[in-house]
Amino acid sequence: MSMQTWHADRDLLAAYVDGGLGPVEGASVEQHLNRCSQCRRAMGPLVDAPALDRVWAGVLEAVESPPLPLPARLARRLGVAEPTTILLAATASLRTAWVVSAFVALSFAAAAAALSGGAALAPFLLVAPLVPVLGVASAYGPREDPLESLVVTAPYGRTRLILVRSLGVLVSVLPFAVCLGLVLHGPVWLAVAWLGPALALVPILMALSCFVGPRAGATAVAIAWSGVVLLSLRGVPATWPVEATQQAAYAALAVISLGVLLVRTRQDRRIGAVL
Amino acid sequence: MNAVDLHAVTKSYGRTRALDGVDLAFDRGVTGLLGPNGAGKTTLLRIVATSIAADSGTVRLLGLDPHGSNESPTSPGDVTSIRRELGYLPQELGYPSDMTAFGFVEYVAVLKEWNDRNRRIREVRRVLELVGLTDLATRKIAKLSGGQKRRVGLAQSLLGDPRILVLDEPTTGLDPVQRADLRRTLSVAGGHSAVLLSTHQTEDVAALCERVVVLVDGRARFDGVVTELVATAEGQVWLADDPGPDSVVSWRTGSGRHHVVGGPPPPGAIPAEPTLEDAYLLLLGADARRARAAPTQLS
Repeated sequence: MSMQTWHADRDLLAAYVDGGLGPVEGASVEQHLNRCSQCRRAMGPLVDAPALDRVWAGVLEAVESPPLPLPARLARRLGVAEPTTILLAATASLRTAWVVSAFVALSFAAAAAALSGGAALAPFLLVAPLVPVLGVASAYGPREDPLESLVVTAPYGRTRLILVRSLGVLVSVLPFAVCLGLVLHGPVWLAVAWLGPALALVPILMALSCFVGPRAGATAVAIAWSGVVLLSLRGVPATWPVEATQQAAYAALAVISLGVLLVRTRQDRRIGAVL
Repeated sequence: MNAVDLHAVTKSYGRTRALDGVDLAFDRGVTGLLGPNGAGKTTLLRIVATSIAADSGTVRLLGLDPHGSNESPTSPGDVTSIRRELGYLPQELGYPSDMTAFGFVEYVAVLKEWNDRNRRIREVRRVLELVGLTDLATRKIAKLSGGQKRRVGLAQSLLGDPRILVLDEPTTGLDPVQRADLRRTLSVAGGHSAVLLSTHQTEDVAALCERVVVLVDGRARFDGVVTELVATAEGQVWLADDPGPDSVVSWRTGSGRHHVVGGPPPPGAIPAEPTLEDAYLLLLGADARRARAAPTQLS
């Protein structure tokens, strides 16, 4: 490196700071500044401090804010309020890993049903309604949420948090599952018919969770639903679990569960009582 | 009106009576809660933090009743308005390990209804700076040390300068420098908030609190000014050449002499300046003796 003998004068530096130099001149000054500490010092007082603070605050904001996972980013695109997306982003069952595994399980079940030419509907009927149930169950605490002790004392309210997460789970898996249902052989109504039990099982799970906790609740729901699907393998049509009469029964159970939930939710703000 | 007013509060877990008629009222300033393990400290803090309900007795937080009764059920609004003015650091706070320090505090800030993004981010930065974590804000919590994790927990409790600040053993895992920092932070907070902190460290209480409550077996055995508690040990602490036959506790100090608390002075003993720890051990008296006789029972 040769000794620096030339230095930028004050006017040149001021023009550089203001962005008033042409591309060639500006690049030359910048080059020089990189190597010359004396000119850098001379430039310091010329820089608009508040503007620099604003830029720095912007950089900090970009660096410190954790990136939202894909489902939460999509939710934001769809007009979900910004604070809500932060809560969704912290939901374990909205993590990419969970969503991907739910998609894989659904795809395998749909592939099995499709490849068998509609003869083996059971895998899909078994898996599809349980995916949202397990997702919602994992949206609960206390074991699932290590923040539980804080969440119960936050003004937001635990019920509201669970409902937000559950909706997030449903919205993130249901559309995909419906598309898969469309590729199944068999009656077209089948693609949406399984939504009946899927939507009914979620309130049933939540009502059960009020009394036995989400784990036991999810286990009970999974066993009961598996029982229904497995029984249908014996001498009744494969679509039996989602036919009209059965749908009515699911709907009735769901309505009862919603009633239980409503009563419990009223008590939620009472200390010690949680959904 | 006191920020926190408890009267004859009881709480049982099955047959175990955790709190047995506790009266406690405090306002601005730092109140320390001392007591052996299992004395009911955490239970008391959880009641003040609206995390659990008392079995009986009256609880008034900021003049409101968070519990409600059959005659006058609490409106959900009352609990919520208390919770808006409440900061709580639980004893065992689980952290989602894949969150950053900033992300965690921001998450809690959303639960505390900081809905405006710019204000929220400013507030999160402010509390992280208060606990000295600005430089580690973007680090994953899983990669933080125990003391740093504790400070993340403390940061979230300070969000929004709550009027009631409940801290369950905030000094656990902190080194002496961090403790000194914490003391500075809390003495500032005590200027405008009612701070209640539990600890095992009598030095923390001596350094921080104007007021101290000693909880033993679910009852408040002492409730008063720290200097008053220290004064109760006046004339009962000695430096002596032998441990003293009937002392409450005694130990051999680095100088080779024995620090003797309670009991008759051993021959040749010279009186020593009592500390808060001496007074606390004297207050526990029989309990401290028992612990000495069977040290394994002391968990």
